[in-house]
Amino acid sequence: MVLQLHVWGPAFALPSIDAQCLAAIAYCSEVLPKDSWELIASSDPSVSPTGELPALQNGSIWVSRFRNIVDYLRQYSEGAWNLDQNLDDVQKADSVAFSSFIESRGQSLIDLYLYVTSQNYYNNTSPAYGSLLQWPNQWILPPKLHGAAKTRTEHLGLSSLDLQAMEDQRKREHSAAVASGQIPSNLIQQPRDTVSKLLGRTAQTNQFRLEALTADFFEPLEAMLARSKTCLLPADDNNNPSSLDCVALGYLSLALIPELAFPWLRDAMRAKAPLLAAYTERMRSRCFGDAPVEAKHAFQPVPAVLPWRAPERISVAAVGNTLLGTLADNTPFLREVRQNRRLKQAVEADSAFSSVEKQVLSSYADSSNKDMLLSIATAVAGTVALVGYMVHVGLLSFSTGGFEEEEESEQDAGVLQIDPGSAADFLGAF
Amino acid sequence: MPPKGPDTPPEESNTSTFFTVPAPIKRLFDKFPLTTYPANEIPQRLRPHDSVNQLYVFADASGARRGRPSFNPQCLKWQAYLKFVGIDFEITPSNNHASPNGSLPFLLPSLPADASNPIPSHKIQKWAIEQVHCEEEQQLNMRFEVYASLLDNRIRSAWLYMLYLDSENFDAVARRLYVNPTTSNSVVRAALGHQLQQAARDELLKTSRYIDAAALEDDAGGAFEALSTLLGEDEHFFGRPNPGLFDASVFAYTQLILDDTLGWKRNRLGQLLREHPNLVQHRDRLLKFF
Repeated sequence: MVLQLHVWGPAFALPSIDAQCLAAIAYCSEVLPKDSWELIASSDPSVSPTGELPALQNGSIWVSRFRNIVDYLRQYSEGAWNLDQNLDDVQKADSVAFSSFIESRGQSLIDLYLYVTSQNYYNNTSPAYGSLLQWPNQWILPPKLHGAAKTRTEHLGLSSLDLQAMEDQRKREHSAAVASGQIPSNLIQQPRDTVSKLLGRTAQTNQFRLEALTADFFEPLEAMLARSKTCLLPADDNNNPSSLDCVALGYLSLALIPELAFPWLRDAMRAKAPLLAAYTERMRSRCFGDAPVEAKHAFQPVPAVLPWRAPERISVAAVGNTLLGTLADNTPFLREVRQNRRLKQAVEADSAFSSVEKQVLSSYADSSNKDMLLSIATAVAGTVALVGYMVHVGLLSFSTGGFEEEEESEQDAGVLQIDPGSAADFLGAF
Repeated sequence: MPPKGPDTPPEESNTSTFFTVPAPIKRLFDKFPLTTYPANEIPQRLRPHDSVNQLYVFADASGARRGRPSFNPQCLKWQAYLKFVGIDFEITPSNNHASPNGSLPFLLPSLPADASNPIPSHKIQKWAIEQVHCEEEQQLNMRFEVYASLLDNRIRSAWLYMLYLDSENFDAVARRLYVNPTTSNSVVRAALGHQLQQAARDELLKTSRYIDAAALEDDAGGAFEALSTLLGEDEHFFGRPNPGLFDASVFAYTQLILDDTLGWKRNRLGQLLREHPNLVQHRDRLLKFF
């Protein structure tokens, strides 16, 4: 049985646009014999029942996430396919801790670098997704990923990298000033920021924060590498990489290799961690081949270092499924039902859960379904109460009594009087 | 204005100014106040912060008086750290609404007396270093930040799941500690509980597409194993003679996970943690500070 690794497709001269997928590719290329696996750039999380990429398919078994794939390969081969077998206890602890460190800090930095930094996202990342996704996913997935990256990095307080958010904020303040009537709308000057002006300003204000973030991330890794010379955590005396090196390659190569419009992360890495930059280049050519990976290799495979296999053309049913799914995900109550169902399916599909855990998770999903029903009931009750109140006060009237009609027309006149003002405010905001 | 005779009609005085009080009403109000009560005493727990630093944490009133550990990991971390470096302080039960930056803990220093600027949690370490000239431990060992990421990510995620999303634990522990003290209104309690759970769910869904309890617990188990290896046979982390910030961060979770008085219904993290006796002993040693 040939193992199939489904990943996000290639971009930026790397075999994948996602760090976890790059790590999985590096691990498989290190540990698996060359003809025993295939790499498929399906670029669609819905191919896997777990809804996540990277996903390893072995017949009917699907395993997703890097660590689960590592565990599965070890169990499946009865210990033969394992890069970490020669590590001692201290090294194992280091491997766990450094993986957690790289995954948390590295993911934030990659999110900021590729998605939140507007000029990189619109000039590089978004077009890259456009070339590797099929219709209709190229319209649906990138905004989703963009939004997810923004929420993940909100707590860092660097939203000023995001020109769009700044523009929105400025508009909000502007219309708030108009609405509160502090300034006559035609006296408010339109601050016409050119893009280059905005860039110059944000680059300066963010510089200190980014310096601190990148230094925090690169310094421990550089110190570790200075000690061990060849790999972060050599798996044996021949300095072969361990699973930690694969994780590191995934995140560091996305920081170093892409040619972006505003390359702050690459500059920081080259300046602060020259050893790390050299190591990343070395690991990259070892795992992904010397030549840069081009997107077309994934779709029309030529003999290369990586065992590419063309993904299947997307079927009409799959397109319909995606469209329906997106529609459902954007419908308020339906979205929650689907989320809970996803949790349940994942639980039932994964035989590794004990029966107790399964029961607990299912009961959790059930209880949040109840929560959802409760919120529907609350919303309905609230609406009924509001309508009832409006009938009571006379805003809405079902009867045809003369007096009530009079009152209603008065109310209508009141509403009409308000209307032009708010419309003018609204227009004034633009 | 001099008081007028009782016979003077009020209309005349009104001609001079609009704001004159009519005489009968004035006479009535001249009798007030009838009695003056002495001022209320300041509540016992709100002694004017004269000489003692006040740390505002999540705690119940009785625990706060005796200086017991807070039941919130973030608060407990800084409470323990200040104790370990030897700074005197008292804890005051509080909640997020009281904090200037929206989250606990924060510290109200006693000195200098005039500046009562609260110190948010991320600046407490800097303040403590200025006060007692202890070391900034992050600089001493490159592994500090690396292993701290285990606590901040893997163990924290598993903790969020165990406390908020496990419905039995939520009803038994989180509701009692966080929701019930705020109000006695059952509707508000239900809403608050729902908000807390939703916030925890959103936090966990930020990093993955679905919440996988087994994976969270596996990750936490691996993290405990790594911390146990890091501690080894030492008394404190990184072989330090005295406990420091890293010990406080670890203690903040191990204490709460192993604290049976909280009333856990299902304590999977506790089972995982008890597989590492040196971490349990580490927690027991540090508990003596309280």
